[in-house]
Amino acid sequence: MISNKNKIEFLVGNKTINKLTTKPFEKVICDFLEELSLELNKAPESKKYPDIKTLAFWCRKANINRLRNFFLNNETRLGLGLIFHITPSNIPTNFAYSLIFGLITGNSNIVKVPSKKFEQIEIICKSINKILKKNFESVRKMISIVRYSNNDNFTKKISSECDARLIWGGDNSIKNIRKFTLNLRALDIAFSDRYSFCVIKASEILKLNSNEIKRLSERFYNDTYLVDQNACSSPHLVLWLGNQADKAKHKFWKSLKEVVNDKYHLTEAASIDKYSLLCSNIINLKNIKNYKMYDNFIYTTSLKKLDKNTHHLRGKWGFFYEYNINNLNKIKNYINKKYQTLTYFGLNKEILKNFILKNQPKGIDRIVPIGQALDINFFWDGYDINKILTRVIDIK
Amino acid sequence: MLISAKNKIRLYSQLDPYSLSEKEKKNFFQKEINLLTAHHYKNSKEYRQILNFMSYKLKNNSLKNIPFLPARLFKEHDLSSVPKKKILKTLVSSGTTGNAPSRIILDNETANNQRKVLSKIISTILGSQRLPMLIIDQNPNLTDRHTFNARATAIYGFSTFGKNHTYLLNKNNEIDYILLNDFLKKFGNKFFFIFGFTSLVFENLLKKLSTHLLKFNFKNGILLHGGGWKKMEKIKINNKIFKEKLFKKLKLDNIYNYYGLVEQTGSIFLECKKCSCFVTSIFSDILIRDKHFNIVQNGNKGFIHLFSLLPKSYPGHSILTEDIGEIVNNINCECHIKGTRFLVHGRAEQSEIRGCSDI
Repeated sequence: MISNKNKIEFLVGNKTINKLTTKPFEKVICDFLEELSLELNKAPESKKYPDIKTLAFWCRKANINRLRNFFLNNETRLGLGLIFHITPSNIPTNFAYSLIFGLITGNSNIVKVPSKKFEQIEIICKSINKILKKNFESVRKMISIVRYSNNDNFTKKISSECDARLIWGGDNSIKNIRKFTLNLRALDIAFSDRYSFCVIKASEILKLNSNEIKRLSERFYNDTYLVDQNACSSPHLVLWLGNQADKAKHKFWKSLKEVVNDKYHLTEAASIDKYSLLCSNIINLKNIKNYKMYDNFIYTTSLKKLDKNTHHLRGKWGFFYEYNINNLNKIKNYINKKYQTLTYFGLNKEILKNFILKNQPKGIDRIVPIGQALDINFFWDGYDINKILTRVIDIK
Repeated sequence: MLISAKNKIRLYSQLDPYSLSEKEKKNFFQKEINLLTAHHYKNSKEYRQILNFMSYKLKNNSLKNIPFLPARLFKEHDLSSVPKKKILKTLVSSGTTGNAPSRIILDNETANNQRKVLSKIISTILGSQRLPMLIIDQNPNLTDRHTFNARATAIYGFSTFGKNHTYLLNKNNEIDYILLNDFLKKFGNKFFFIFGFTSLVFENLLKKLSTHLLKFNFKNGILLHGGGWKKMEKIKINNKIFKEKLFKKLKLDNIYNYYGLVEQTGSIFLECKKCSCFVTSIFSDILIRDKHFNIVQNGNKGFIHLFSLLPKSYPGHSILTEDIGEIVNNINCECHIKGTRFLVHGRAEQSEIRGCSDI
C-alpha cells in the first residue's frame, strides 16, 4: 500500500501495487487495446485532438497484429514485472504510448503523467476507466496512472520496487530521477532529448507532379507542424542532396506553405517566436548565410557549414535550417549521439543502409521516409522495447 | 548624414504633445525615425547585423517599411548604440513578457529626453506644477529591491511629478489609514496626484479600502495607473467598470490609464478622458500588424508595433510588441487632442505545447 498523504492523484487504478505479468501480446491485452482504440474514436471529446486520433489509430487491431508479427519467435518470454514510467511534461499523449509498451510486453505499470493538466490525458484516462469498469479485470490490476509533483518519497518507493524504469524527458529531468536508486536487477531506460533531421534528394523533388509534391508536403507537415517540431523525431535541419537544390527548395517550400496555410493554426505567439528566433540567430550565429520567409508560416535559414554543434539549432512552429550537400558520406563526422531520426525522400533504402554500415556514425537510431517521423514503434531511440521489457526463460 | 536628434527633440518638446494633425506630424516623424534607423545602423553592431541580413536599404522609408525588433530581443541581448564609456545606466525591468527582464542601455542624452518627454506628456493631465502625490504601493526603500524592480522604476520615474510623496501601503502591505487621512486632510481640498499599478489600485482602492475608516474623499485626485496587465486579465474587469466603481466608491473622477513599453520609456500613451482610447503623441506612433506582419486596416486587431523618437542609446525606436491592439478609426471624440487613437486588448494568443523535447 502507498500512503496517499502527499497528494498522489490516481487517474487510473489505486494504491495497490501489483507485479502481475503475462506473456508478450497476451490475448486479453490485445483485446483491451482494440477496445481502447474503438472507445477513443467514439469519445466525442477526442474530436478536437488529432493526437488522440493518432493514438487510437496506432493501437487499433490491425497495427497491434502487425507489431505482433514482428515479434513472433520461439523464445519463451514473460514481462519483467512492474514498470515505472515517468512521462514527459509536454507531449500529452506520450504517457499512453509508454503504458502500451509496458502492457504489450506483459508488465504491470505505474505511469506518472505530467502535472500540467492536459485535456487529452483526462480524455484518455476516462476511456481507459470506462473499458476497465466493464471488463478486463486482469488488465485492471496492471495499470495505475498517477499524477503528483514534489513527492520524492513516492518516486523513491516505486523506483526501489519496480523492475524497469522508463524515463522520458530532458537531460536534467533524467539526471534528477536517476538519483533514486533501483533495485539491483532493475533496468533504467532513458528516452532523452534528441535531435532529428531530414535528407531530400533535390533532383527527385523536381520529378514530382503537382499531386505528388502536395502529398510529400503533407507528409512532411505531419512530421513537423503536427507537433510544432517539439517531438524528438521532428526534423529541424533539412539537407538537400545533389544538384538543382535551389530549384527543389523553392518547389518544396512553396508547396509546404500551401499545406500549412490549409491545415495549420498559426498562433500569434508562434509568429513572434519565429521572428525573435531569427533575430537572435542573426546576432548569435556566424554560421547562417541567409533566410527566407513564406509569410510567417515557414522560416528557412541556410547554413554556411555543418559542424559539431549543428544539433543545437532547433526550430519551432515551422522554422527550419537547411544545407546543401553533394555526398551523404561527408556528414558522418557531425552526427553525434544526440541525433535520433533521419527522415528521407528520394533515396533508396539500400543506400542509406550502406551509409550507416560504411560510416558507422555515432548517432541516428531511425531512418524512415518523410511522413513517418512520429510513427512510434517497438524500436525506439535504438532500444528494442520488446526485448528489453521482457525476460527470456531458457528451456532446453 | 545623420542630424543630431537631440536638438530636434528639444524643439518638439516646445510643442504641445497632442497639437499636430496626422498630416503635420507625418513628414517630420517619418524623417526622424529614418534618421534613428541610420543612427542605430551605424552605432549598434547587432542592429546592423540584423538589417544587413534582412537586406534592408537605408533611405527615407515610410513607417510601415521601417524594420522592427521584437520586444523579446531586449531580454536576450544587451543592445547598445553608444560606446561603453558613455553608458549611464542599464535599466532592468520585468517588462510585459516572459520571465527574463529586459535590459535597456541608457546614456545621458536618452535618459534626459525620456524625462523631458514624459514630463511634457504628464503635464497635459497634471499641469506644470508638482502636486502632492499619493502612491498606491509600498515605499520601494522599505522592500526587497530585487523583486520590486519594475514597480520601483515606475514609482521613481513618476515621483518627479509629485511632492509630499505618501505611500498608501506600509511595509506589511496594509493600508496605512493614519497616513492616508493625514494626506487627504492636508491636500485633499485641492488637486492631488495618485499613482499606481492598475492591479494594485484595484486591489487596494477598490477592494481593500474601507470607506468607514476614511475621513475624507478622493474627489480632487487625479489617478494615473498602468501596467499590471496579467493580473487584470484574470480578474476580467474592463476599464469602464473600473472607472465607474472608483467614482462610486471614492468620488474619484479624473482617471487616466497609461500604456507604454519599458523599451520606449518616456513616450508613453495616455488614455483620452472622453473616449478612453490611448492616444499617440508627437513623440510616438503606432501600426497594427497581422500574424504575418502585414499592416491591417484600422479597426482590425493585430500586434502593436510602436515607434518612439526617444531611444538613441539603444535600437528601440521601432518595436514589435507581443500585445494585441487595434487602431480606432474616425472616432468622433469631443476632445481636441490630436493623435492616433488605439485600444490594447492584451497579450498575444499563446500556443498549446505539443511535442516532447521542449525541456
